[in-house]
Amino acid sequence: MTANFKDLEKWSPELNICIRCGYCYELCPLYKAHPWESDTPRAKMLLVYGLLTGDLEPSQHVAEKISECFFCKNCENNCSANVPVTDIIKEAKAALAEAGYEVDRTASTVDEDLCCRCYTCVSVCKAEAVEPDEDGQPVVDPVECEGCGVCAASCPSGAISQKDGFGVSREELRQLLLDTLRKGAQVE
Amino acid sequence: MTPGNHPIFRKVIPMKEGLVQDLQEIVGEDAVRDDPADLYVYGSDSSVHCALPWAIVRPGTVEEVQEILRYANSNGIPVVTRGAGSGMSGQAVPIQGGIILDMKRLNKILEISPENTYVRVQAGVVDDDLNRALKPYGFMYPPAPASSRIATIGGEIANNASGTRSVKYGATRDCVLGMKVVMADGSLVNLGSTTRVEASGYQVDRLMVGSEGTLGVIVEATMKIVPIPKYRCMGVACFNELEEAGDTISEIIASGTQPSVLELMDNVAITAVNTAIDLGLPDVEALLFIEADGNVKEAVDYEIERMKEIAEKYNAFGIDISYDAEKRTKLFKGRKKLFASLSRYKEGYSCTSLADDMAVPYSRMAEMARKIHDIADRNDVIMTAYGHCGSGCVHTKILMDPTRKEQWEGARNAVREIYEYVRSVGGTTSAEHGIGLSKAPAWKKEKQDSLEIIGAIKKALDPNNILNPGKLQDAPDDWLTATDLRYKAE
Ligand SMILES: Cc1cc2nc3c(=O)[nH]c(=O)nc-3n(C[C@H](O)[C@H](O)[C@H](O)COP(=O)(O)OP(=O)(O)OC[C@H]3O[C@@H](n4cnc5c(N)ncnc54)[C@H](O)[C@@H]3O)c2cc1C
Ligand code: SF4
Ligand code: SF4
Ligand code: SF4
Repeated sequence: MTANFKDLEKWSPELNICIRCGYCYELCPLYKAHPWESDTPRAKMLLVYGLLTGDLEPSQHVAEKISECFFCKNCENNCSANVPVTDIIKEAKAALAEAGYEVDRTASTVDEDLCCRCYTCVSVCKAEAVEPDEDGQPVVDPVECEGCGVCAASCPSGAISQKDGFGVSREELRQLLLDTLRKGAQVE
Repeated sequence: MTPGNHPIFRKVIPMKEGLVQDLQEIVGEDAVRDDPADLYVYGSDSSVHCALPWAIVRPGTVEEVQEILRYANSNGIPVVTRGAGSGMSGQAVPIQGGIILDMKRLNKILEISPENTYVRVQAGVVDDDLNRALKPYGFMYPPAPASSRIATIGGEIANNASGTRSVKYGATRDCVLGMKVVMADGSLVNLGSTTRVEASGYQVDRLMVGSEGTLGVIVEATMKIVPIPKYRCMGVACFNELEEAGDTISEIIASGTQPSVLELMDNVAITAVNTAIDLGLPDVEALLFIEADGNVKEAVDYEIERMKEIAEKYNAFGIDISYDAEKRTKLFKGRKKLFASLSRYKEGYSCTSLADDMAVPYSRMAEMARKIHDIADRNDVIMTAYGHCGSGCVHTKILMDPTRKEQWEGARNAVREIYEYVRSVGGTTSAEHGIGLSKAPAWKKEKQDSLEIIGAIKKALDPNNILNPGKLQDAPDDWLTATDLRYKAE
């Protein structure tokens, strides 16, 4: 096993308990945005298993498939084997980040030029993922960030954003709203 | 492709040069993947098996499916069709590599026709999505497998799935009216019809039912739907002896009573659901869920009362009967989650999908339930008896520590012994979950008289053996060594 993933070994019994039924995936918002089996919670569990058994070599693609998650817990709330899916994802994210892979795709980012340092984001973030750096600039920790978007929604300067491609960026939400309104108008 | 260095990747048979580019030309760049992470994920389903494909392709149109098959057929490339990957016997595991044909983009409901009581869907439509769409019309698509939340209609046809309501409304095969299938050479054929009855020669559409992706790719299906009944009354009966629950099932069926649900749960199953999802079921040796439905309340009452009387004859107690929809939904939810809950039955044990379903004549139900536990004890594993027993189906699972090699040996013996018994009483290897790899050895013994015919049909329809090769009659004789296991055992 690659040394970096030793810490994940403790999840081995839980990953064996996952029966891979897939009950978790039709409700996963990430899967809705990227409808490949590899983007499902079930797949994330498999990929972590692959990493800790050594069947699968870590790569940037593996890191993305595991770490892209909104931590909504729809998966584990619907898992009758009670697999702690998001705890496993979080620890795998940390291990992958430590091994040098980027795990920030569903994480928020702060635009320093727009940020007015009001620290609203720091106080609203339930995951305690935003902290001021030594210069006082709020920075999002991509490992801890759960991609909930609350900081982006509450930032008065519009300095926080989420990436395109997952249905949650400002532009994607605007488009969704427009489409919904248009559909409504047609129904009328 | 840059596969990893691990043996699991080294085992990949050299794939055709330029395969990914060729596929991309057919379906576009974004609909093909061959990254090791994707191959690894698509190498498993809900079974114990794991084997890697060469590439995954997600066609968006029927024409693309045809084009892919034409290409694969002329190049001798295996094609393994995949719905949701909820199969429990390794049906969608690509034992010889090749292309995984992920059908989930073909997910449109094409026509809902209440006046003709049918629905026309693409193969990738998910069962629950279909039922959600039918509800406003007052209709349902009845088989209701426990996996309805994810299973696709194509996958259900290819496995002849059935479920809680099959005792009254039949299995998938009873709902199939017609279908469109892409054959191995890429040609598109229309099979069956849209009418309830058809006596027009060979029932080739029926041949596709249960074919597990080895004869053609189902792209569209016309399925029978039924009106949602006005009344549903459900009861739960407790038993102190598993055999008495078994006897109740056979007598209910033989009495001509018409249950719409008749489900068994033994104590292992009860304990598992109570532990995992806190359902609060009575801690007894066996529970029987009975339901009657219909549009006349008195008729429903009558059916339920008769079932109750029979259960009481076999010492059932605590029979709780109710029309409460909320209560019923809660119990059904528990039932649907049973398979996963079994993984929480005992610390350090996992629920493996082995010897997972079979059917025996009704009169053998009680004996079968007891046999399962005897065989499990002998082989140092835990097994459970539950299932849609009203349709003759008995589910088991093998609960064991999957990290210990000797447990797998025990599992192998248990599977063999169970199926020897099932055959000896005239039962069948699979009631609804299909054969794939893990049930193939037992199935080949059961079907030995017809294997030649089965082989001839396969050869006629898929002469180059590209469609899900190495399954059913061509599967290895030892499921345990057929592929890598999804668990690491030492
Ligand atoms: C928790 C759980 C509960 C389950 N409960 C039940 C149950 O109550 N009743 C029951 O019957 N089954 C049950 N199953 C088993 C499984 O859900 C069924 O076998 C289901 O029909 C598989 O559908 P799928 O879309 O997942 O198919 P897959 O697993 O993706 O594929 C299964 C087979 O069908 C073939 N196939 C898939 N789509 C097509 C197509 N369009 N054309 C041709 N071949 C195709 C594949 O090649 C493969 O051989 C359960 C499974 C799980 C995990
Ligand atoms: S995490 Fe739970 S719901 Fe998802 S596949 Fe595993 S057992 Fe099923
Ligand atoms: S927590 Fe993550 S993996 Fe689970 S359903 Fe939500 S987005 Fe999907
Ligand atoms: S997206 Fe949510 S979890 Fe991430 S930093 Fe913002 S508030 Fe915190």
